[in-house]
Amino acid sequence: MKKRTYIYKGFERFWHWTQALLIMFLAVTGFEIHASYNLMGYENAVNLHDISAWMLLILIVFAIFWHLAVGEWKQYVPSSKLVKEQIEYYITGIFRGAPHPTKKTSYNKFNPLQRLTYFGFKALIIPLMVFSGILYMFPGLFPMLKGSSIIPVLHTLGAFVLIAFLIAHLYLLSTNHNATESIVAMITGWEELHVDPKEEHKKHMQKAVDKSIAGYYRVNKSGIFMDVNKAWLRMHKYASSDEVLGKHFAITRDAKDLKDLEDTFNRVLAGETVIGKPVMRKCHDGSFGKHVLSMNPTLEGDVITGVEGFIIDLPDVGALQPQMDNIVRNSNAGYYRIDKNGYIVEVNDAWLAMYKCKDKESIIGKHFSVTRDEKNLGRLNEIFNNVLKNGATITSEVARRRCSDGSLGKHILSANPVYEGSEIIGMEGFILDISNLDDVKA
Amino acid sequence: MQDNRKNTKFMRFIFSAILIISPWIIIFAIKNNIDKNNFSTHDIKIVSYKADTLPKQVDHSQFEILKQVFNTPEEVTAACLTCHNERHKEVMAGNHWRWDREVVRENGEKTRIGKRNIINNYCIATNTNSWKCTSCHTGYGYKDKNYDFSDSTKIDCMACHDNTGTYEKQPLGSGYPVTKKENFEGKTYFPPNYNYIAQNVGSPEINNCGKCHFFGGGGDNVKHGDLSSDLFHANKDMDVHMDENGNKMNCVSCHKTERHVMLGKAHSVSNSNENRLYCTQCHTETPHQNATLNTHTERIACQTCHIPVYAKGVPTKMVWDWSESGKLTETGKRITEKDSLGFITYNTPKGRFVWATNVEPEYAWFNGNAYNYVYGDKIQDTSGIFQINKLYGSYDDPTSKIIPMKVHRGKQPFDPENMILIVPHIYGHDSAAYQENLDWVKAAAHGMRIAGLPFSGKYSFIATEMYWPLNHMVSTSDKALTCTDCHSREGRLKNVAGFYMPGRDRSMLFDIFGIAMIAIAIMGVIIHGTIRYIKKDCIACDVD
Repeated sequence: MKKRTYIYKGFERFWHWTQALLIMFLAVTGFEIHASYNLMGYENAVNLHDISAWMLLILIVFAIFWHLAVGEWKQYVPSSKLVKEQIEYYITGIFRGAPHPTKKTSYNKFNPLQRLTYFGFKALIIPLMVFSGILYMFPGLFPMLKGSSIIPVLHTLGAFVLIAFLIAHLYLLSTNHNATESIVAMITGWEELHVDPKEEHKKHMQKAVDKSIAGYYRVNKSGIFMDVNKAWLRMHKYASSDEVLGKHFAITRDAKDLKDLEDTFNRVLAGETVIGKPVMRKCHDGSFGKHVLSMNPTLEGDVITGVEGFIIDLPDVGALQPQMDNIVRNSNAGYYRIDKNGYIVEVNDAWLAMYKCKDKESIIGKHFSVTRDEKNLGRLNEIFNNVLKNGATITSEVARRRCSDGSLGKHILSANPVYEGSEIIGMEGFILDISNLDDVKA
Repeated sequence: MQDNRKNTKFMRFIFSAILIISPWIIIFAIKNNIDKNNFSTHDIKIVSYKADTLPKQVDHSQFEILKQVFNTPEEVTAACLTCHNERHKEVMAGNHWRWDREVVRENGEKTRIGKRNIINNYCIATNTNSWKCTSCHTGYGYKDKNYDFSDSTKIDCMACHDNTGTYEKQPLGSGYPVTKKENFEGKTYFPPNYNYIAQNVGSPEINNCGKCHFFGGGGDNVKHGDLSSDLFHANKDMDVHMDENGNKMNCVSCHKTERHVMLGKAHSVSNSNENRLYCTQCHTETPHQNATLNTHTERIACQTCHIPVYAKGVPTKMVWDWSESGKLTETGKRITEKDSLGFITYNTPKGRFVWATNVEPEYAWFNGNAYNYVYGDKIQDTSGIFQINKLYGSYDDPTSKIIPMKVHRGKQPFDPENMILIVPHIYGHDSAAYQENLDWVKAAAHGMRIAGLPFSGKYSFIATEMYWPLNHMVSTSDKALTCTDCHSREGRLKNVAGFYMPGRDRSMLFDIFGIAMIAIAIMGVIIHGTIRYIKKDCIACDVD
C-alpha cells in the first residue's frame, strides 16, 4: 500500500539543503585554499570559506538541538539488522530487479546502510571537519599543534571524504523508485511511501484511543486501574492519571451502583463481553454523570489478565431507563474513519454489523452520504464540515443511520478530527447503537 | 479536483523552495551591505606618530661664537661644545663614533664588535683599509687603528647636523673635508664654508644620513639594497613614507633619537635584539581591515608583504666573487668589464660582480639576534656556504618572525690551515696592497699581521653569504604581496621551513589517497550504473 506521507519536516529540509550548499561551497573555496585551482582569488576564497564555516557551525548547533528536541536522532542510530541484505541488494539484487529489502516509512526513513553512513557522517566526518576547522581558525586553542600539518591534513582528508560521499549520495538517488521524486520530497517534505497496513493501523488506533473523545480504561484482574485516556479523566474530572492508576474501580461508583459494576466486572473476567451498558459514574468531585460503557476481557495468550473498554458520555440524553441496559446490550461500539474528502477509509466489525454490511470492502472507499437518508444527511454534512474546518469534536450526537439494506437505525455518535502534523486530514469516531431506545431523543 | 490538487502541489513546492533559499539571499544581501560600508573608506590606523611642524627653535646664526672665522673643522666642534657641553660624551659612547658595541656572543663571551673587527663579503674588512672607509666615521682623521677614540675635538658634528647640504667629504680623506678644491672620481670637492654651515645646523635630514648610509660598500646602494640615492627624492612608488609629495618623512622620523642613541640597527654589524625599531611604533599590531590578514602579523614582519621588491631604482650588488680577481689580458693589462648600464661586472683587482634591480627578497625566520663573524673566528664546517652574519630564528621560537632580506653572496679569501677568514690588505699604494700587486699572500700576510691574526701562508676561497634584513623602500598597500605570492606551491616562502602553510604545503600521501577515494567513487558509480543500465531491459521496471 502506498501513501503520500509527510516525511521531511520544515527545519529538516532547510537544514539539509543549507548544509548541502554550504558543504559544496566550502569544498569549492577550500580546495582553492589548498591551491588545487584558481577560481575566485585566494583572498576571496579564504574570506568566503570563513563566513560559510561560521554559517555551517551555527546551522549544526541548531540541527543538533532540533534532532535532540524532536527525537529524530533515533533515525540515525545504526543497527546491524538487514545490513547484509541491504549490501546484497546493492551488489546483486538491484541488477535482478529485486525489491528493496527495507521499506521507507516516516518513522524509519533510512535503510540500514543509510543509517550507518549518516551516522558516520554526523559522528565522525562533521566533528572532524568542525574541530579541525576550529583549530585551523584558532591555532591558539591548542598551541601544541600550532603550525603542525596534522590539522590541515585531516581537514583536507575530511573534504575528500565528503566529496566521495556526495558522489555516492547523488548516485544512490537513482536507486530509488523515482529519483526526481526523492529530490522533490526533500524540498516539499511529502513523498509517496510504502505503508505497512498493520503497522499503520496499530499506530492509528493508538492515536485514536489517545485522542478519542470516547473514554478508554484498562483494569487488571484485581480491579485496579492500569490505564485510562484523557477523555476518561475528563469525564471523571480527574486532572491527571496519577490520581487514578493503581486505585480500585470502586472509586468511580456510588455505593449503591458498585454492586452492579462488580457483577459486570466478574462476568467479563469469566470471558463475557459487555457492550453499550448505560451506567451512572461518580466523578472525582463527588458529582455524578452518565455514560454508556463497553467492557471486554484483556488476554495474554489464553489467560484473562483484566478488562478494558470504552465509555461514551451521555450528557444530553434524558433519564435512561434501567431497562436500557438490556435493550442496548446487543449493541456494540462501532469505529469509523473518513478522509478529508468524505470517503470512508476505516470501519470496525461492530460498525459493519450496525450497518448490516457483509464486509469492509463493500463500504470502504464510499462517501459517507451512503450512511444517511436524505432527511438526515444534512446534519451529518454539518458535523463533517464542522469537524474538518473548525477541528470541533462532537460527542453524544444522536443520529439516524441508513443501513446497507435500506433500513434505518439509531445510534449515538462521536466525531473528532484526524490530524497529521497540524493538518486535519479526516474525521473519526465511535458509534453506539440505541435503535431500541425509542424514548431517547436528540 | 485533480487539477486543483496538482496546482496546490506545485504551489507547495515553490513555497518550500523559496523558504529554503530566502535566508541565503537575506544573509548575502546583509553581508554585501556590510562590505560596502566597511571598505568604502580605507583609513590607515596610525598611533603615536606626529610630524614636527614647529619652526626651528634656535637660530644658530645669532650666536657670536659661530660668527668667528673657522680654519679647521675641529674649531667648529669646539664651538658647538661650548653650548652643547656633555653631548660629546653621548656621541663618543655611540656606534657612529666607536664603530662597535658591547655584545654577548653565543658562547657567553662579553666582547665588543663592530666595523673595527668584523668581516663582510664586500670589501672584506676595515683594518688596514680604514682610510678608505672612514670618510663615513663621525670624526676626523680615523686613518688606522691607532686612532684616539677619546679625543672629543675630533667629533664631526656637521656631518649629521648640517642643514645646508653643502658639507661634503672626499671619500679618501679619513673623515676630513678637503682643504682646497679637489677632483676625485669625476666629482669636484670644495672646502666647506664652516660659518655658513655652523649657523645653519639642526636635526638630521635625509641628506645627512643618506650620504653615508646610501653609499655603504663604496657606491650607491651597493650594500643594503633598500637604501639608495633614490631616497633623497622619493615618490610614493619608491617609498611610501619618504614620498616627497606625500608623507614627507625623513630618516629620524622613524629612527627616533634620544641623546644621540638612534633606534634601529643593521644586523650586518650588530647581533642583538635590542634597540630595534618596528613598524608598530606608529602602526598597530592589527593594521588590516581583514581579521584573517591581521593574524599574519603574529609571525610575519610587516616588511615581508610591504617590501615586495628592493633596489627599485639604483641597482644593488648581489654577488662579489673575489676568487676571479687578478685576471689580466694577454698583454698583461688589467680588465674592466661593464654591463649596459655602465656598472662594473668585472674588475681585475676586485673580481666579478653581479648587480640587480627590482629584486625579490629572500625570506627567513628572524628573532632579532644574529651571529657576526669576528676576526679570528674558526670556521668548523667548510663544506657548505659560510654564513657571515647568520640570522637566528625559527618557527618554533615564538619571538621569531618571517622577514625579507637581501642575501649578498660572495667568494672571499680564507686561510685553510688556520680555518679563518683572511683580513687582506686591499687598498694602498704600498707593495703589499692587493690592489697594487694582485698578490694574495702578501696582501693577506700584511693584513693579518696588522689585525693581530695568524696567517699560514696559504689561501683559498670560501663561498659566503651575508644577510641584510630589508626595512626601507616600503611600497604602497596596493603593491604589497597578495595571498598567492606565498600561498602557492612555488611561492616566495617555499624555503621558509618549520610550519604548514595552506596553499604551499600538502601531504602528498593524503592528497593521493583522497583523489583515489574520489576516483573510486566515480568508477563505482560508472560500473554499477552501467551494469544496471544493461540489465534494465530484462527486469520489470516496477519493483512494487
